Amino acid sequence: MTESGSVAPPRTLGELFLGFLAIGARSFGGVLPWAYRTMVEERRWLTQADFAETIGLCQFLPGPNIGNASIVLGKRWFGVRGSIVAFLGLFALPFFWVMALGALYLEWAPHPVVRAVVTGVGATGAGLFMGTSIKLGKALIRKPAALVLVAGCFVSVGVGRVSMLIVMPIAAALGIFAARRGWL
Amino acid sequence: MILLELALYFGVLSLMAFGGMPAVMPEMQRIVVEAKGWATPLEFVQLFAIAQAAPGPNVLIVSLVGWKAAGPSGALIALLAACAPAGLLSWWIAGLWERFKDSPWRMAIQRAIAPLVVGLTLSGGYVLCTPSTPDWRLWAIAAASGTTMVFSRVNPLWLLGAGGVVGGVLLQ
Repeated sequence: MTESGSVAPPRTLGELFLGFLAIGARSFGGVLPWAYRTMVEERRWLTQADFAETIGLCQFLPGPNIGNASIVLGKRWFGVRGSIVAFLGLFALPFFWVMALGALYLEWAPHPVVRAVVTGVGATGAGLFMGTSIKLGKALIRKPAALVLVAGCFVSVGVGRVSMLIVMPIAAALGIFAARRGWL
Repeated sequence: MILLELALYFGVLSLMAFGGMPAVMPEMQRIVVEAKGWATPLEFVQLFAIAQAAPGPNVLIVSLVGWKAAGPSGALIALLAACAPAGLLSWWIAGLWERFKDSPWRMAIQRAIAPLVVGLTLSGGYVLCTPSTPDWRLWAIAAASGTTMVFSRVNPLWLLGAGGVVGGVLLQ
């Protein structure tokens, strides 16, 4: 267990950079668990509650969650320089790895087996998205208005291929209307 | 001017990505495949697969798309565009968060956004496993991985690996 008294923020920008480098470098299968492990358990920069709060903020705001978290935490500890350093640390290695994997793939893409394997991985990833939405959707199951919004988004954006630029403002307005009525 | 288009499109997606990147995958696919033709439907699924399998934030799919559309500078511009607008917003809101986090309108926004994120993430999954005409094999792989994820806590990396093997057998 982490006690709030025993945590201390990174002392230097170098330490901040290396911490986020360690998060990015190891984050196979999802970044969030590694961010937690690095910052809360190993380096003890943050308490568990503080971490949860920061992630909560970043999930509320749009954009890549963990990218936002690097910017928010960097700012808290070192201002603008901290945001930039944490962001660069987070993406430095994953950027090159994904590029290298991409290059390797392009090299081998003409091979039918490689194409089939990679497409299978893609379909699995698609399934993970569906699984995620089912997990998140469980919380909405008793709210008919929420289910109407879910279905509306799916039918228009997923099946109908209508642009999100059109669907999002309408759905958000309906959502806020419903939320204010206590339907959500 | 492809770099400018990448910056513009991914910059807009950045600000619409509520709950993270999955919510904007259908729109990204629509822009990249249908509107701009930077990748074929199947190529887009494959770029997505690479970004999922590689370690790192899943937003990195934009770098693969940027690279395919405009080379290495495209990869960098796309990543910055997808992160910077939302990053600036977070940078600004972070200082005010203490005051906002318990306010009633923040709760209302959060409740309003939740079903949208669910519907859009579901759409992302559907679009990705339906690249052109419906293919039962892709649907079966997606259904199996989604079901396993809901009912177990296995590391998604194992599922991606298994999906690759099944794909290698079924999809040639």
